Amino acid sequence: MTAHRRHKSSHLITALALGSLMALSACSSGASAVQAGADSVSDPKPGGNLRVGIVGGSAKDSLDAHAPVTHPDQARVIQLYDTLASYDNEHKIQMALADSITPSADATTWTVHLRDGLKFSDGRPLTAEDVIFTFRRITDPASPQSGASALSTLNRDALKATDSQTVVFSFSAPNSTFPDTAAQYSLGIVPADYDPKKPIGAGPFMMETFTAGQQSVFVKNPHYWQAGQPLVDKVTIIDFPDDTARVNALLGGQVDAIDQLPLGQVNVVKANPAMKVLESATGSWLPFTMRVDQEPFNDPKVRQAFRLIIDRQQMVDQVLGGHGTVGNDMYSPLDPCYPSDTPQRTQDIEKAKQLLAEAGKSNLTVDLVTSPVAAGLVEAAQVFAQQAKAAGVTVNVKKVDPGEFYGEQYLQWTFAQDFWFTRDYLSQASNSGFATSPYNETHWADQEWTELVTRAQATTDSETRCGLIKKAQQIEFERGGNIIWGFPNSVDAYSAAVQGLTPDKSGIPLTSFGFRNAWLNK
Amino acid sequence: MRRLLFRRTLFGLFTLWVVSLVVFLATQALPGDAAQAILGREATPERLAALREQLNLGGSLPEQYFGWLGQLLSFNLGTSLAGGTPVASAVGPMLLNSSILMLCAAVIAIPLAIGIGTWTALRKDSAVDHVTGIITLVLASLPEFVVGVLLVLLLATGVFHLFPAVFVLVPGEQVWSNPAQLVLPVLTLVLAVSPYIIRIMRATMLEVLESQYVQQARLKGLPERTVVLRHALPNAIGPVAQVIALQLAWLIGGVVIVEFLFRFPGVGFQLIDAVTNRDLPVVQALVIVIAIFYVAVNLLADVVTLAANPKVRTAS
Repeated sequence: MTAHRRHKSSHLITALALGSLMALSACSSGASAVQAGADSVSDPKPGGNLRVGIVGGSAKDSLDAHAPVTHPDQARVIQLYDTLASYDNEHKIQMALADSITPSADATTWTVHLRDGLKFSDGRPLTAEDVIFTFRRITDPASPQSGASALSTLNRDALKATDSQTVVFSFSAPNSTFPDTAAQYSLGIVPADYDPKKPIGAGPFMMETFTAGQQSVFVKNPHYWQAGQPLVDKVTIIDFPDDTARVNALLGGQVDAIDQLPLGQVNVVKANPAMKVLESATGSWLPFTMRVDQEPFNDPKVRQAFRLIIDRQQMVDQVLGGHGTVGNDMYSPLDPCYPSDTPQRTQDIEKAKQLLAEAGKSNLTVDLVTSPVAAGLVEAAQVFAQQAKAAGVTVNVKKVDPGEFYGEQYLQWTFAQDFWFTRDYLSQASNSGFATSPYNETHWADQEWTELVTRAQATTDSETRCGLIKKAQQIEFERGGNIIWGFPNSVDAYSAAVQGLTPDKSGIPLTSFGFRNAWLNK
Repeated sequence: MRRLLFRRTLFGLFTLWVVSLVVFLATQALPGDAAQAILGREATPERLAALREQLNLGGSLPEQYFGWLGQLLSFNLGTSLAGGTPVASAVGPMLLNSSILMLCAAVIAIPLAIGIGTWTALRKDSAVDHVTGIITLVLASLPEFVVGVLLVLLLATGVFHLFPAVFVLVPGEQVWSNPAQLVLPVLTLVLAVSPYIIRIMRATMLEVLESQYVQQARLKGLPERTVVLRHALPNAIGPVAQVIALQLAWLIGGVVIVEFLFRFPGVGFQLIDAVTNRDLPVVQALVIVIAIFYVAVNLLADVVTLAANPKVRTAS
């Protein structure tokens, strides 16, 4: 959630020219196909320098474990710092630095136990005191970090180490999703004397060099806790604000892997035997956000009508080039409690017109504020405006610069868009569902829903909790403020020499930037 | 002539001041401030407040502007809001890199274009002249990023794999340490700048070659070589110098797109980033440097024109 996703390149023409002409490249690089054919048989081979091109990057790049702001920051933070828990490729929580995270019966107290023999990259032991320092740093009221909002109920002064490997977390309200929070990449554990300028962590790699907006080089952490990892000696992360340059660098062999392959290039890269495309279905979502407390969306009938106007399959086909799945106005599709038996909502212009008429809002005109802050947002807005015409609704697409989008009006737009990576329901809800949530763009404050979700947060029994979540989802399905039309796949590309990158449901590119598992077959 | 230069320099300084004011007002007119631009999606009220505090944003517009101007006059460019480093140390290396890129392009493009222009003028209406005319016209009408993309396809990723398609600077090394990476950006700039110079050179040269004093020189029996080099060329250079100056001034603008396309770490690349981040001190510093370059190049062109034209040179 932290990173800015791809800023849609202004060089659309460039990309088109490149795309149409790059068929040539596919033909001419046939020679290298032979060596690439022998990839999948050999055993993991240690060593080498994995060079990765990541979208974005800027002078504002930072190595701070708890305040990643750009997309390459996210990739760097994941190399440098490990978290108490983490997600696997199926988006299931696994223990990481902690070997157990145990709740009290009412989920207001959590006990975290660290693995034996953990060390930071400089060889010092990682202890309970470091964990306490980390969480106090994140929630510092004078300088709240990226993870602070998810920890708003943490009693930071009551954090307590019962021995050198055990920390007790207490919360002012039940918090059944603490392991989920602890697995967010912006909550990496740092030593008690942490200085972002000398970024010591317990991640698979250590910093060698770092130039903001340019590139950074990481070397293997000899004290890494997972045996046999990482495999490569070095990882070089190179910032690429421009799509065309990133693809060119991959095709020209200057990098081994890139994230967020522009959709126009997918077939070109697939046709090249020396390259591979890494595509993963994810739970990321790109909603249209309707403010439920403002005209015209304060009438549930209008919200319902808008959800019936949209042709979801067409959105997925046109906006995502087919690289995605259709949504049903409910988020967290990978949550085990997702109500997948709810009938799929489909386009129904007649019903939409009827609902608008009932609401006295026929021939409605609305402004839709969009900005190229994530791939596909502007395109989605344009396609929606087209589809709305059929129902007599005029949607004026108001495209603004990212600076304006996140400016004074941020989180106040009446009808706008947003983007989220994969999250489980309760964690997502605490980010965007409550009146007190930091990113409640729809200004959702439904009392019945709030009670249900608050109860779910306090429920440790997973079956009871699932029942509550399903009910809450049903409420959002009926009268929520989001139009969730689809879940985009994450699409990356890499040279056939790179091994160990697998599909991953997080929505974070390149197997959640899991370079510790990657190795080079060259 | 000295008085003219003095006046021009004063006027140049005035231009710089106006530029700084306009840029300041323009960046103020952009929606959002540096804190919002840095935090982007994570701009929650609490984090915004904390960051604004850290960055010392605030103060009235005149206060901010005169604060900046005062610093500038004491040769202090301030601190980058996005990177937290002194502006001079952030901008300096980028400026050096861009200068190298532009210098390479200018050193290749100017003699080459003057040469080709003269050569085609001497072979007026021949096949070579027509082919050159068409090529320069096509190149002049193509935007430089199209030329760049075509070059990448031809020489880097597509037909041939001769040169790297993007610029990747190894930390601690200078841009010239891997000259192969410089080829495509320089070539793109050369192809973007040359056509205009070639065409104006050819046209001016034709005009000069038909003038009376050249005919006189020929009638006098001077060798054609001497006629062209001693008598025609110096008289053709004057108008061409103006076009070259314009092209050089254009270079620093064109370099923005070329740097973005090839991911070249220079001022253009940095300027785009600084504007996105609302990083006012960096934007101001870069724009002032670019404006100084503009003013200096134009001043230089005036001097060359004066020096090349005896009538103007001796008039006062």
